[in-house]
Amino acid sequence: MTDVTPERTKTVLIVDDSRVSRMMARQYILHLQPGWNVVEAGTGEESLDKARAALPDLVLMDVNMPGMGGIAAAEQLRRLAPALPISLLTANVQSATRERAEALGLGFMEKPITEARIAQLLALAGG
Amino acid sequence: MVELSELENDALIEIFNIGVGQAAASMSALVSEEVRMSVPSISFISRADAARLLGSRLAAEAEAPDRICGVSQHYEGAFDTDAILMFPEDKSLELVRLMVGETVSLQELTDMEQEAMCEIGNIILNACIGTLANVFEQELRGSLPEYHVGTSDEILGVSGSEPDSVVLMLHIDFALDKHQILGYVAFVLDISALHDLKEQINRYIARAMGQA
Repeated sequence: MTDVTPERTKTVLIVDDSRVSRMMARQYILHLQPGWNVVEAGTGEESLDKARAALPDLVLMDVNMPGMGGIAAAEQLRRLAPALPISLLTANVQSATRERAEALGLGFMEKPITEARIAQLLALAGG
Repeated sequence: MVELSELENDALIEIFNIGVGQAAASMSALVSEEVRMSVPSISFISRADAARLLGSRLAAEAEAPDRICGVSQHYEGAFDTDAILMFPEDKSLELVRLMVGETVSLQELTDMEQEAMCEIGNIILNACIGTLANVFEQELRGSLPEYHVGTSDEILGVSGSEPDSVVLMLHIDFALDKHQILGYVAFVLDISALHDLKEQINRYIARAMGQA
């Protein structure tokens, strides 16, 4: 008999101060990967706590949020989990933001959120 | 008031054309429909004139012509501006419905209307402003979006700009395949910001001509 270790259910952490954006991202993730877990955070600060508790396989991070912005939160998450795939998911399409993401080893995806864009992002976690 | 030369005006329209193209692509992805946008027309006018113009144009389209919903964001950097996206109030729920789809109940839709409009504004305004920043090779830092409902006077007044401020009025006609929705984007700049914008346009022109 061969031991088969069941694959751990994957978890995506969505960080966005917009409830509508979180709702849309969640809807597309669960449509593409019905078995995955989705955890939400409305601020950068909250994302740090949620990440410690949920140990996500992928983080989708808005940039412009009240309090700690998405880039600062991503930097802290990167220190907590150096191999964790983190992608910015933002309306801020400026080259400066893309360059900052690249320098920090973060992915970059522009809004609006669509199923095709979410599918590309889930591929970062093997989806 | 700061005057733009013919070349500066032409360059500004071209830059906004690129921005509007980006905004149209964003809008289309947002509402899952083809979006046609008019070539932007640009005018520098006083805030009072801008409010009057906006009120009369939207009155022709809206059922409740004196009510407009607006989403504003303040930007700082190469030049400071308040960017405002405006729609007739009666189109707001329709837009949000297009964005979130049919599965959401009317109650939920109404509950999230303001937040969804902020996100729509965030995406459209950033598409325009982001393009400007990229073309100018500068960074513009934006505030969080704010939602307002009121008359055109009230909406254009909410930006808190100085009395001598001018409005760079960018008319964009959004035409969706199944929905006729008219929207406007306005940028409010004071005189100092207008000088900064003019400087950025001239640097862009110099680069385009290989002089920088």
